[in-house]
Amino acid sequence: MKKLYSNKLVIFSLVLPGLLLFFFAILAPICLSVYYGFTEYSGMGTATFIGMENYKKLMTDKAFWMSMRNSLLLAIGFICIQHPLAMITAAILDKLGGRGEGFFRCVYFIPNVISVAVIAYLWKFIYNPDFGLLNNIIKAFGGKGDINWFSTDNAIWSVLIVLIWHGFGWGMLIYYTGIKNIDPVLYEAAAIDGADQKTTFLKITLPLMKPVIQVNVTMAVISALKQMETVYLLTNGGPGNSTQFAANYLYQQAFKAFKYGYGNAIGVVFIIICLITTVVLNKIFEERDDRPAKAKRRKGAA
Amino acid sequence: MKRKVVAAGMAAMMAFSVMAGTGATIVKADDEVTLKVFSNLPDRKNGQGLVEQMIIDDYMEENPNVTIEVEALDEEAYKTKFKAYSMEGMPDVVSIWGQPAFLDEVLDAGVLAELNQDDYKDYGFISGSLDGFMKDGKLYGLPRNTDVAGFYYNQKMFEDNGWEVPTTYDELLTLAGEIKDKDIVPLAMDGGDGWPMAVYLSDILFKLTGSDYSDVVSNAISTGDFSDENLKKATELLKESADAGLFQNGYDSQDYGTAMNLFTNGQAAMFYMGSWEASMALNEDIPEEIRTNIRVFTMPVIDGGKGTATDIAAWNGGGYAVSADSEVKEEAVKFLNYMYQPDKLSKYGWENGVGMSAQDQSAYMTGDETELQMQFVDAVNNATSVSGTPINDCGPSAFKTSIESEIQSVSNGSISVDDFLAAIGEACK
Repeated sequence: MKKLYSNKLVIFSLVLPGLLLFFFAILAPICLSVYYGFTEYSGMGTATFIGMENYKKLMTDKAFWMSMRNSLLLAIGFICIQHPLAMITAAILDKLGGRGEGFFRCVYFIPNVISVAVIAYLWKFIYNPDFGLLNNIIKAFGGKGDINWFSTDNAIWSVLIVLIWHGFGWGMLIYYTGIKNIDPVLYEAAAIDGADQKTTFLKITLPLMKPVIQVNVTMAVISALKQMETVYLLTNGGPGNSTQFAANYLYQQAFKAFKYGYGNAIGVVFIIICLITTVVLNKIFEERDDRPAKAKRRKGAA
Repeated sequence: MKRKVVAAGMAAMMAFSVMAGTGATIVKADDEVTLKVFSNLPDRKNGQGLVEQMIIDDYMEENPNVTIEVEALDEEAYKTKFKAYSMEGMPDVVSIWGQPAFLDEVLDAGVLAELNQDDYKDYGFISGSLDGFMKDGKLYGLPRNTDVAGFYYNQKMFEDNGWEVPTTYDELLTLAGEIKDKDIVPLAMDGGDGWPMAVYLSDILFKLTGSDYSDVVSNAISTGDFSDENLKKATELLKESADAGLFQNGYDSQDYGTAMNLFTNGQAAMFYMGSWEASMALNEDIPEEIRTNIRVFTMPVIDGGKGTATDIAAWNGGGYAVSADSEVKEEAVKFLNYMYQPDKLSKYGWENGVGMSAQDQSAYMTGDETELQMQFVDAVNNATSVSGTPINDCGPSAFKTSIESEIQSVSNGSISVDDFLAAIGEACK
């Protein structure tokens, strides 16, 4: 057996399927995308090479920058609203115990189980200014109830609420699993030392959850950048481009405006931004990881 | 033995993948022909989709050696897949739109077969209806409908409240105020999709420019300069109407179904849409007291505009074509021609209330037509001139995408009229 695994041909043949898949399903399309990004191409007929024109145009394209701003807003919303809430909920759930724990865990996760299409239409009706639930609630409390939730100024916030609400259960479940993995002995020791709930959460739960937070934050930022289907179904980027997101804009340009070359240029810039974001996030977390380790080492040397 | 089994398996897989990959028609022995029809009408039980399916069924019955396979997707998905097909082989008969926004790129790619114009001399096509499907004097497709834009209104609601059908645009805006005072939405508008508002803008523009409409539009699109005073005035009128509360609250984000439901549930007094919705009068899902009271009027005249009351916004949009590299082109053209025999598309369409075809339909009047249908027929018969293609479909598809998005912003006031005209001009370049 050992001999078999040290045979280079065998190793090669085992790695080959994975490599081929990577090459044909990921690398080759990206390379083609880069190529088409330099062309003027409607998606049919022949492509004409135009150099950096698409990229130059992209730099001054208001709709594209609007989509970047919206992705940024969404990422901030995820990190500053969704995740703290998800973590606190997970910590409370963990303390709840018994049947309640399972029940609420299920309830909070339900939005994630429902199809995006259903969610989008559900919220479309909730937000409808004429017969929607939200305006009717406002009316019931004596308000005028004629707010246009999808007006140019409100739309992005309405969309963010849906996205934050929809992804909440997923984040919470990961935090919940993380908390469950913390050794209960630590909590016992803290209790003996007289630590209250707040101190326990800040000094034990939070530091030990760091790897989970890292994974969750990275995933949140990436999903904010990649956001497409909910926005497509909810507002399709409108009114105007006020709720535009990069993936949706790419789709509109490539497949509706027949600007396939330009769509690919957006795709390439989009990939670069995603890669940079991931690298930067990893760097930030790496430094944080290193700092205490270095400090310890210094202490040891002294 | 084992090796043989593996080899056989591999061969089968290869054959399968080759077949799946080409997507082309398989011509079987003894004259068995399979025709692939790619359609933008996914609802095969109602309206236009039903009509298409009825003709397909008739054709297969009359030609037992022909099997017709239909693939139907809704418009947006259809256009996306159409593009994919254009690269790897089109189905034999396809739905198309005789408008530059769609057809220009398609014809440049050379995926549609040229049709013989002489074949259609006796088909009763309304004059001018083939123009959108021609390029350099060659014909590439045939139109299915004549579409007319209009204001559907609830006649009973109008009578009960003493409202009159407006004859001028100012009257329309005054009427909107009166309707609003009764807590009813004056006009349900599908603003979320962009194109109905673009049609509305074209309708206003036609009333302003009259017979100059197509010159104004084509000049603006070819130069990218939309500063023409009529274009500006039309856009200002659209914005004024939105500001005056003619449309429902949040019209700029509501889709087709939501807007239409406002009207068919009696929450809106009017609904702006094309004549293809004339089948509302026959749709039993709509409450009877509303269904039987739906009537229509066309865009009222505008003070100072050149267009008269009988100059209407009408055009020939959707249609069919045959793929250039179809392996059974002869059969495909035969089927296409069969569809357009006057007693097929025109007759069936009329009987099912899907609106007017692009052919002479007078022979199929049964006397049982709904009043709504007759109002459209009268509008077309009495028309002194028709607008032709709405502005959003007159330019390249980048222009279409741009105007359909920017029109939401200009109507709700988030960009100025000048910025709007500059932005859509930019998309033409």
